[in-house]
Amino acid sequence: MISVKNIHKSFGELSVLRGVSCNIEAGEKVVILGPSGSGKSTFLRCLNLLEEPNQGEIWVEDKLITNADPYEHDEIIELSQTYADLYAKYVLENDGTAGDEVKKAVISRIKEQRLLKKREGSLFKKALSQYQAQHGIDINLARQDMGMVFQHFNLFNNMTVLKNLTLAPVQLGLKTPEEAEQNAMRLLQRIGLADKRDEYPSKLSGGQKQRVAIARALAMNPKVMLFDEPTSALDPEMVGEVLDLIRELADEGMTMVIVTHEMGFAREVGTRILFMDEGNIAEEGTPAEVFDNPKNPRTIQFFKAVL
Amino acid sequence: MNFFEKTVQLFTTADYLKLMFTGLGYTVVISICAAILGLVLGTLVALCSISKSKGIVMRVLQGICKVYITIIRGTPMALQLFIMVFAIFAIRGFPTIVTAILAFGINSGAYVAENIRAGILSVDIGQTEAGRALGLNSRVTLIKIVIPQAIKNVIPAIGNELIALIKETSIVSMISITDLTMAAKIIGAGNNLASYVVPMTSAAVFYLAIVYLLTFGIKIIEKRLRASDKR
Ligand SMILES: Nc1ncnc2c1ncn2[C@@H]1O[C@H](COP(=O)(O)OP(=O)(O)OP(=O)(O)O)[C@@H](O)[C@H]1O
Ligand SMILES: [Mg+2]
Repeated sequence: MISVKNIHKSFGELSVLRGVSCNIEAGEKVVILGPSGSGKSTFLRCLNLLEEPNQGEIWVEDKLITNADPYEHDEIIELSQTYADLYAKYVLENDGTAGDEVKKAVISRIKEQRLLKKREGSLFKKALSQYQAQHGIDINLARQDMGMVFQHFNLFNNMTVLKNLTLAPVQLGLKTPEEAEQNAMRLLQRIGLADKRDEYPSKLSGGQKQRVAIARALAMNPKVMLFDEPTSALDPEMVGEVLDLIRELADEGMTMVIVTHEMGFAREVGTRILFMDEGNIAEEGTPAEVFDNPKNPRTIQFFKAVL
Repeated sequence: MNFFEKTVQLFTTADYLKLMFTGLGYTVVISICAAILGLVLGTLVALCSISKSKGIVMRVLQGICKVYITIIRGTPMALQLFIMVFAIFAIRGFPTIVTAILAFGINSGAYVAENIRAGILSVDIGQTEAGRALGLNSRVTLIKIVIPQAIKNVIPAIGNELIALIKETSIVSMISITDLTMAAKIIGAGNNLASYVVPMTSAAVFYLAIVYLLTFGIKIIEKRLRASDKR
């Protein structure tokens, strides 16, 4: 469902992700663990491109969503003047070669030697967006299928609870206002907050806010949910209600990627654990494997500290 | 004649009254037109300067905006007014009142722009991220989520700016527009009343009344907008 290939991300000098790859299949509940600053949030935020990776590819259901290096795109290379020039030259020099061979040779030469000039950069950007449009690749579209839940809820402060849930489906033309409201009320009933429909977020408790935030994401009928420490900003007595809701979603078969420090929850709900350290996936496996039998010294050290 | 009798005379002499209210009219017209110009200009400049677009057009615009804000905020209003009147719009027959409106509008635009920019930046980045994460594009996110919250944040600052603007328009008397301040001065200089105190005090009361009304209006707007964070 989501396929991540060798992504790198740095903020200025600070290299945060150093070549992370992984596949997330439909129905999986992937839990990401790791020490603070290891790049867990950054990785999660790359999945829906809230952070743009500097390098590497992210595929969502066979669609490339990263603004990949133009060098890597044959289709785009072909649009360039440099390509046309090289192609002509190659044909002149190698009389009689088949078209496909010439093409391959020229593209590989461009990639090897990075012959595309900077001034063609904006041309590429255009070509890339054209290419993406033609192939139905649109990050806004891709994000509709990926619900995200933030540590600090980020409910829209200027809207009522109901409006928080209906804004996106209505704005994006997925539902009529009536349908959206019906769906929102169904979700609010489910999380037990139907009576709060007309309240503003500032009047809700932390736990209620996070449940509304989850409902807001669900209102888009996402195919996968991304959680970034959904309970870290909550008072202890409110952690349970939020975890219960996430657990319910998990049981219904929702695909999830969860960054959390709740070890018990990770073990219980996760189908796979990724342990991140210094921008890499240091270890991965089933909860039983990783918790009971960690192999990487960093993982062992981490569990010693937190368990 | 004592203060009281002079006040009565001011408000019962038709010529004086006419002059005072003409002056009031000029002050109000200049203030309102300049405020509208300033708000529109300020909003546009603010949107320009927060744009993340890296296009060449936007970069040039952002450069212009920066220079504009720096110059306007770094020089005295009176000088800006003089330069507009005696240099830029020193065209025969070009109405001074229009020049004055432009000068005050352009001046106030720079301050409004800074207020609005700060207001937009003060909205938590998480609000934008939540909008984008749902698949909304940046324009919708800005219009539906960020700007409404920014407006709430900037209303007090904009209110202060408008109040300052109204009072600052009194310097148009220096380019011989008969605004409220000028009217008071003319009346005071006349032989009949032979007093600056009464017309000046009356003008001050007029200014006070306008500012009070405006403050009241802003309070109401603020209250309405604050509905979303009452606890
Ligand atoms: N927008 C940013 N600009 C600069 N540095 C950033 C930015 N976002 C994250 N970082 C840095 O990147 C590193 C990794 O951050 P990240 O938030 O991914 O870590 P994390 O594993 O989620 O940690 P935590 O458990 O504390 O949330 C940190 O050192 C952080 O300071
Ligand atoms: Mg984090």
